[in-house]
Amino acid sequence: MTEGITMTPVIEVAQARKDAEPVQRDIVFDIQKLTASYGKEPAISDVDLEIYRNVITAVIGPSGCGKSTFIRCLNRMNDLVPGAKIDGKILYQGDDLYASGVDPVEVRRRIGMVFQKANPFPKSIYDNVAWGPRVLGMRKDLDERVEKALRGAALWDEVKDRLKKNALSLSGGQQQRLCIARAIAVEPDVLLLDEPASALDPIATSAIEELMDELKRDYTLVIVTHNMQQAARVADMTAFFSLDVDEGRRTGVLVEYDETAKIFTNPSDKRTEDYVTGRFG
Amino acid sequence: MRSAFQQDLDILEATLQEEGQLVLRALRGAIKALEQRDEELADEVIAFDDDVDQRYVQIEEGIQLLLARQTPVATDLRLVLAILHVNLHLERMADYCVTIAKLTKLVPEVDPGPRFVEGFEEMGSRCEEMIRIALDSFGNRDLEGAESLVELDELIDRANRRVVERILELGGDPEMREYGLRMVIVSRALERIGDHAVDIGEQTAYLLTAEFREFTDASHPSPRKA
Repeated sequence: MTEGITMTPVIEVAQARKDAEPVQRDIVFDIQKLTASYGKEPAISDVDLEIYRNVITAVIGPSGCGKSTFIRCLNRMNDLVPGAKIDGKILYQGDDLYASGVDPVEVRRRIGMVFQKANPFPKSIYDNVAWGPRVLGMRKDLDERVEKALRGAALWDEVKDRLKKNALSLSGGQQQRLCIARAIAVEPDVLLLDEPASALDPIATSAIEELMDELKRDYTLVIVTHNMQQAARVADMTAFFSLDVDEGRRTGVLVEYDETAKIFTNPSDKRTEDYVTGRFG
Repeated sequence: MRSAFQQDLDILEATLQEEGQLVLRALRGAIKALEQRDEELADEVIAFDDDVDQRYVQIEEGIQLLLARQTPVATDLRLVLAILHVNLHLERMADYCVTIAKLTKLVPEVDPGPRFVEGFEEMGSRCEEMIRIALDSFGNRDLEGAESLVELDELIDRANRRVVERILELGGDPEMREYGLRMVIVSRALERIGDHAVDIGEQTAYLLTAEFREFTDASHPSPRKA
């Protein structure tokens, strides 16, 4: 009688983890033929892209390729720039973000933004976080809301005993996390992060990256970064933008958009390969 | 800090250990099939190699991703490089088990007598012990354990020589001659499994000391080995 050697597969951790990734992805932004111009010059041209729910999407590319312009289109931040103009469509949850009648303030509540340089108000830590909810009339249970946002931004333990202190007394990394807390205090759906760690030291950067990984459970994140390795580390999807130079005019174009793993191991486009290997840009 | 990265490293190492356990099973199956001339079990060992290969590919892919996305440095870099090597050694060991199983199916129906069975049993259990020590010392970052593999390998080498001597004694009977020829390769396969276990020990030493060094140098044998 043969005693078999076949074994029941041991927990296939790696596979299990792979399977945990959502296969069917919900589309949060459906961007169609987006061209954004300042005056007559298009900064980005003909961008088609889908951004998925609870996923971190990184936007990378050389300086001037329109990365920031692109994410500013996603919460109508460019409306505030004189002469800025949008062609094409951005559907957010299926609705045209730029349709007449859409309130840009409501858009920015649902699609929050964190900038390169931490920009807390010169007020207390508490007031910084409470500011958004107060303005929007979300005054009920404000203390809980502030605590929840600070916890969400992994800052609570560091500041809970000095909520009345001026926010400017915090370190750069803490200020940036405070800005993230401020952004999530109004319960947005999406967080746009424009170079959120470029002014921070490696430890503070690492804290922000860890935080992003946690935040994606509840939010959809889009991050613009100069730091390719940061995109490789944190993002699930990566969009590579580059510059098309035509008769002296430089326009940002989307070159490649794919799973981050694919972009950094086997990109489809030669320009992406050249950029991620440091041969260009 | 960098918990996703640490988790990826942990998964890689767990998968590697899992692959090692599969190799142990394959080895036990191969030796048993050989001793009992059990073709059915030999077939099972051959098919089982797919399970090992699956882990092998998982680890290869995992390392590719980790290198591309996490830029490991220092100990992390050495760990990733060591896993890459150990993975290959384990996969090779499993291939030798397949070789043994295939040869088991090819030998004629002859009874080689207990002296052969004993010889392979000894080599098989020494290999098992070496694989276990190689995996444990890698997992426990145990330099002493890793270095002890050299002496254990010496015992397998000796057993190999003994088996070959017995094969030479088999004489000119054509059936026995064919059997003997096959068994030289089996013995060699087991001896190579021992070598791969030593190689895993060298990876443990590299991981711990950051120095590449061979425990023994086949082209410059030490007096002890000669």
